[in-house]
Amino acid sequence: MRPAERPGLFVASKAVFLKDLTSEWRTRVSTNALLLFAFAVLVLVGYAVGPASLSPEDRPTVHSVLLWIVIFFSAMTGLARVFVKEEDAGTAAALRLSAPPPAVLLGKLLANLTLLFVVTAFVVPLFLAMMSFRIEGPTLFVLLLVLGNVGLASACTFTAAIVAKASAKGTMFAVLAVPLLLPPLIGAVMGTRVAATEADLAQGLDFVKLLVAYDGVVTTAAFLLFDAVWRE
Amino acid sequence: MQLLAENLTRSFGNRRIVGPLDISVGPGRVLAVAGQNGSGKTTLVRTLAGLLRPSTGHVWLVRDGVRTAPRDASWAIGWVAPDLSLYGELTAAENLLFFVRLHGRPALPGWADERIAAVGLDPKRIAAHPIRALSTGQRQRVKLAFATLHEPPVLFLDEPSSNLDDAGRAVVEAVVRDQRARGLCVVASNDPGDLALADERITL
Repeated sequence: MRPAERPGLFVASKAVFLKDLTSEWRTRVSTNALLLFAFAVLVLVGYAVGPASLSPEDRPTVHSVLLWIVIFFSAMTGLARVFVKEEDAGTAAALRLSAPPPAVLLGKLLANLTLLFVVTAFVVPLFLAMMSFRIEGPTLFVLLLVLGNVGLASACTFTAAIVAKASAKGTMFAVLAVPLLLPPLIGAVMGTRVAATEADLAQGLDFVKLLVAYDGVVTTAAFLLFDAVWRE
Repeated sequence: MQLLAENLTRSFGNRRIVGPLDISVGPGRVLAVAGQNGSGKTTLVRTLAGLLRPSTGHVWLVRDGVRTAPRDASWAIGWVAPDLSLYGELTAAENLLFFVRLHGRPALPGWADERIAAVGLDPKRIAAHPIRALSTGQRQRVKLAFATLHEPPVLFLDEPSSNLDDAGRAVVEAVVRDQRARGLCVVASNDPGDLALADERITL
């Protein structure tokens, strides 16, 4: 009826993204939760496992698992808030009336991705240093971190939208998100193990392909289904 | 633009809250929805605004003979309600600028201050304060600015005068007066002053 006045997807999603970043910067609720959780787990892992208590052949596997456990549980701790806080604070209705649903999802996804990258930038160097975790294939390792984070952020953001109106949000989020996140986690862990031992990118290309496929499928499904989830 | 509801009901579980109702509000008209606490005024307004799906029946926004469901024409709707909140950690101006960007409207320098002044607040005085630091009445005025920032042809005001002083009530009157020139308005309230702004009334 007056479609010309609707903003483009990127203009509106940028507004949502910047609003979420500003809100997060001023309250720092999610950032603090994620970073404190990550730091606590890092310290525990450092004390319990340490750099020297594992045999050299076990280190790549155990360290890969531990690294992704830290990232995974950090994501589970903070990423659900992106939609939950809109419902809890009573701002969701204003957002529903004002923004096209895909713009809301894209803006929230970018905000969660930024948060996850901040946590990763904090966790990974500390983890590598504390555990003396040597990476032979840094290109593969960075690719896995980026793609793994995109997958985690996509799945967590969409799941957060689903559970935002539920009464038992925390339980619902875990029940829905964990099965959804297992495939990329397994791929990321196995790929990281390869990156720790092989300098050749081609050795871990299958895991990169797996994560690209997963990210594509989950993100596409999220955009296709979000309208029904958000407006019901 | 016309607001049309046909055989409208809204239930939660087996409990019918609203309807069945037939409503028609034409351009330049103001409809009051009155009723005791718990009578379903807010549910009716949220259903008419497309924030709740009707259990039966339909709600349409009609322009030039074309019917559109409210949820597909959210650009056309302004809404104020007690359960509406703006972003508490942002200032009033930041909230208004955020929402006007979402509506795809340009915000020239000073635009937000003008909108804030239009609802009787001093933009300079509240500029440094996030919404959560404002009084309830000040927040209500910012909500009125939010609801009208995109000049919607359909405006829903649910308890618009709650927490407002006499000057604030005058702002509500001005908002409704301006809305008559722009489109139509639905006011849900128990306040005699709010109800007196309307041309017609339904009581739930």
